Amino acid sequence: MTLEEIRYRGWSEQLTWSWLGWWPIARTGLLLVLRRKVFWIFLGLASLSFLFMFATIYLKAQLTTQNPGFRRFVDGILSNATGTGETYRDFMFAQGTVTMLLLAFAGATLVGDDIRTGGMAFYLARRIGRWHYLVGKLLSVGFLVSLTTTLPALVLYFEYGLLTDSIEYFRDNWTILRGILGYGLTLAAVLSCLLFALASWLPRTVPLVMAWVGVFLLLPATGEMLRDATGSRMWLLLSLWRDVRLIGTWCFGAAGQPRELELLYPSMIVAAAVCVLSIAAVLPRLRATRVVP
Amino acid sequence: MSDLTTPRTAAVAAGPSSAPGPSPAPGPSSAPGPSPAPGLSSAPLCVFDKVCKWYGPVIGLNDVSFRLQPGITGLVGHNGAGKSTLIKLLTGQLRPSLGRVEVRGRAAWSAAAKRSIGYCPDLDAMYEEMSGRAFVRVMARLHGFSSRETRERVERVLEVVGMADRADRPVATYSKGMRQRVKLAQALVHEPELLVLDEPLNGVDPVGRMEMCRLFRELAAAGKAILVSSHILDELDTLADRILFVCRGRLLASGPLSEIRTMLDAFPARIRIAAPDARRLAMLLLALPRVLGVEIESAGELVLRVERVKEFYGAFAELVAREGVDVERLEVLDASTEAVFDYLMRAVAHAW
Repeated sequence: MTLEEIRYRGWSEQLTWSWLGWWPIARTGLLLVLRRKVFWIFLGLASLSFLFMFATIYLKAQLTTQNPGFRRFVDGILSNATGTGETYRDFMFAQGTVTMLLLAFAGATLVGDDIRTGGMAFYLARRIGRWHYLVGKLLSVGFLVSLTTTLPALVLYFEYGLLTDSIEYFRDNWTILRGILGYGLTLAAVLSCLLFALASWLPRTVPLVMAWVGVFLLLPATGEMLRDATGSRMWLLLSLWRDVRLIGTWCFGAAGQPRELELLYPSMIVAAAVCVLSIAAVLPRLRATRVVP
Repeated sequence: MSDLTTPRTAAVAAGPSSAPGPSPAPGPSSAPGPSPAPGLSSAPLCVFDKVCKWYGPVIGLNDVSFRLQPGITGLVGHNGAGKSTLIKLLTGQLRPSLGRVEVRGRAAWSAAAKRSIGYCPDLDAMYEEMSGRAFVRVMARLHGFSSRETRERVERVLEVVGMADRADRPVATYSKGMRQRVKLAQALVHEPELLVLDEPLNGVDPVGRMEMCRLFRELAAAGKAILVSSHILDELDTLADRILFVCRGRLLASGPLSEIRTMLDAFPARIRIAAPDARRLAMLLLALPRVLGVEIESAGELVLRVERVKEFYGAFAELVAREGVDVERLEVLDASTEAVFDYLMRAVAHAW
């Protein structure tokens, strides 16, 4: 039997270039969100927290520079801007909450509309396949997450370093940079995969928001109840938000509570499983034709 | 050469889908194609060879073969006939279950082939907040053009479709016709050799329709192959050089409409003739071997039922010259796309 007879299909030599299609897709997704005024409310909320932290670090640096003896006093008062890994982790966690709300409402625009209205045909008839489309869309969600979490955290990190001990701060705290990038990447990966999966099956805003609420509010609450009922802390893994935060804590190198660290590896497995299952759930939706049985 | 596959014989005989060997039967037109884009082979522009597509237990297309050549080809079929599947296979959105779909010698789903394909879908699935210009620009960028080249191409193509001055408005504010033009622009932006248009005239006003038809003809004259799927069959009468008729996943017939009509022997052609002396002409016509019946519609008009139209035309010309009969007008009443489609459907119903 020849290769042709068994319908073997060769690898396309143009594939490398087709991957460059991720940028127009990701950029378009971002622009679509930024064009809608309603999403600027969430972005505004996210930037409020950032601006407050930015101003706090600046104020602290000014006070400390003018009177070095104030350092401990200022650290005590402005305890949320101590420049440690926990500062950035907590900041990113708070930012992530606003981002989560933003994504719940932006999911239909970013992903759902293409699938609901058949807009994918425009993409799939080009020199890109569904994997290129998938990657482009995931990156557009990932960029949005990074825009409100990783990027502000990086700005604050460099601000703190430049306004305080400068080079020494960066040298002593390079693990913070790793932590910001690691936590940011985890947030972006988990949220983008999950959003894509939910929005591809529930492309309209209201069902998507309800599903999002189910995943991030009802499931954790259920986990807490089951933990109380059974005494097993493993039920806490149902809280995806908590799992991601635990991974973030690990990325920052923070020890955390030993009881929490018990759940670190299971949390990683849960996050990875969510990503893989989400992509597996998305693929059947990225077809040019849907057969209705 | 046109092909006609009657439902009964489609699987075994004369139609293109039963052409022996790996190469499909020659297409309806033998006009030379445009020179391919640099880097692409000089292989036939588009080849469907024994293509089948199943969706699980559902058959989308069944043993379909044809070639597309430069010019305008209409695609006609009922809902669910397989038009969308055919278009999606042709534009590389789907892969065939069996057989091959090639554009310039490359599998239609490959990136190389998609360079030669422009697709204008029937769905209004553009981003409402985005301007027409931005939308076309995104689609151009997906082909890997640099931003400068993209800008130039977008301006050129918007000019071509008549949207250059209105393309900065959000798509949400566009009329149906403007949307169609933007969709056409995104299909043309990379200057494909093969243009696949799904219901391109839907919602377009008569003036816009004329403009777009003129544009299609210009593109065809420039050597592009255009496949137009349309439910507006009247438009196809004047627009398409060839028609593909599909039904229940099979290609029923392909070729110039007049030739397909000629081959439908089971359905005598209806020809209206206007002549001052209609009664005498009717009497003379009844003596011709291919005339099956004559009806006098009014004082100066009669309608004939004729088999083997080409032979009839020869005999009729001879008769007119010999008898010195005045003929003011001759009009075939059932050679339109709609009529031929209707006959084909009846043949299908009879055979299946």
